[in-house]
Amino acid sequence: MTERKTPPLIKLVNHLEAIGTGIKYVFTPRMTLRYPEEVMELPEGYRGMIKYTKNLCINCGLCAQICPADAMKMYLEELEKAEEAKQARPKRYPGINYTRCIFCGFCVDICPTGAIEHVGVYDVAFESFEAQIFKPEDFEKGPPEVKFKEPPKRLKPKMDSRRGIIYELAD
Amino acid sequence: MTLMRLLRWVLDLLFSPWLFVPLVFPGLITVFLVILFIIWFERKLAAKVQLRYGPLYVLKQLGGAIQLVADLLRYLFAEPIIPENADKLAFVFGPILLFATSYIPSVAIPVSSLYYAFRSDIGLLIALGLLVFGPAMALITGWASNNKFSLIGGLREGYLTMAYEIPLFVSALSMAALYGTMDLIEIVEVQSRGPWGIVLNPLAAFTFLILSFMSTSRFPFEIVEAESEIVMGPFTEYSGILYGLTMGASYVKFYILSLLFSIMFLGGWEPVPSFLAWSPIAPGLILLVKSVGVIMFGVFLRAVYPRYRIDQALRMGWHVILPLSIGSVFLSLGLLIWGVVS
Repeated sequence: MTERKTPPLIKLVNHLEAIGTGIKYVFTPRMTLRYPEEVMELPEGYRGMIKYTKNLCINCGLCAQICPADAMKMYLEELEKAEEAKQARPKRYPGINYTRCIFCGFCVDICPTGAIEHVGVYDVAFESFEAQIFKPEDFEKGPPEVKFKEPPKRLKPKMDSRRGIIYELAD
Repeated sequence: MTLMRLLRWVLDLLFSPWLFVPLVFPGLITVFLVILFIIWFERKLAAKVQLRYGPLYVLKQLGGAIQLVADLLRYLFAEPIIPENADKLAFVFGPILLFATSYIPSVAIPVSSLYYAFRSDIGLLIALGLLVFGPAMALITGWASNNKFSLIGGLREGYLTMAYEIPLFVSALSMAALYGTMDLIEIVEVQSRGPWGIVLNPLAAFTFLILSFMSTSRFPFEIVEAESEIVMGPFTEYSGILYGLTMGASYVKFYILSLLFSIMFLGGWEPVPSFLAWSPIAPGLILLVKSVGVIMFGVFLRAVYPRYRIDQALRMGWHVILPLSIGSVFLSLGLLIWGVVS
């Protein structure tokens, strides 16, 4: 294997430069948030978890077709409900499996009536594998509410030309 | 009365050097405190360089300072699994002996010019010689685990040992030639009369520091345990407290090497005020602060460097560091001939 030939003195200078860079970053302010105490204000159009509105749905099934992770699935309506609504045959409604969802938002984009939309929620912990599979009834309720021990500080990210990302208190 | 006498006897026993040195300082208790501090510091500093927080939620007031206590408890209560096809005796005793052999050289290290476990004309050689047992134990664990990653890791340790052991001894002995003694106490006394070793022979200090990084698998020489290549090297199959021991061993070895570095190059317990020199406390603290400073620099490199390949490290050991360490011998001899040091 051939290696770049660097004179040893320049190598030593490069090593010192690397260590200097490391020391510089020790004194650079942090970019991360202390999550449960500080929460980031989400920007508009954030692709969080997904909420479904049954009244707008036309049962086209496009969301299940477009889903690249196979997380969307059309569930057949129960027979009694179809009879109650005096339909000719039971309809299919979408449900979502959050163990598979990659939050790409294709289903939201393709929905012709806007029945599927993103909600600004991303931090939900589920107790079991099964709890992450949402049938149409649960899907309609939207993602579970996020509960904090104490109300967190809400911060807004902002780009800074010198320091990268900085955070400001959101109003 | 008898109680007082008993208490006095116990205190005398505890503070007698041959018990105090291996048990308290620089021995077992200080070793654990240093490990506790330095692993936390390493993670915290690496996090800081990467603009993160690092360990935080175990004792939040002190920034997660007792994170390692939590880790240790976890290791203690985790089940140590011994693989079916492992060489069981070697598998169990490997990490224990690895930790022990890393820690044993601390008995040869004096705390001050009046306080030491034993004094020998070849104290430096004894301390370095006792350190050589460690790599053999790593080889044994790598062999005993009956796992390809362990075997590769053990062989890497073997290769690296060849590359670092000789220059390490050569650069240490160049300082012995310069001071005209291998007695660690006399080495410090020579430095108290003149400039420190790092000023006299910076070449030896540089090579000794690099080689102590190499021998304790600090970055960029973290080749033996290379996590992204061979899982955990010789310690792949370990779990529970046995794994905790293998992880602590390299830090203990680094601590011993940095104590030796402080004694040889940074003036040991000098400058200690003369009215405090009679007790071991002030000199011991100065020695501890110096060596912890060296360790802190060593663990800081984790945040800066990626890992060398094994051939790059070996080439560096044989082609760069060995000639430099031989050069440091000639530098020492030159200083002696020109009469810079008497």
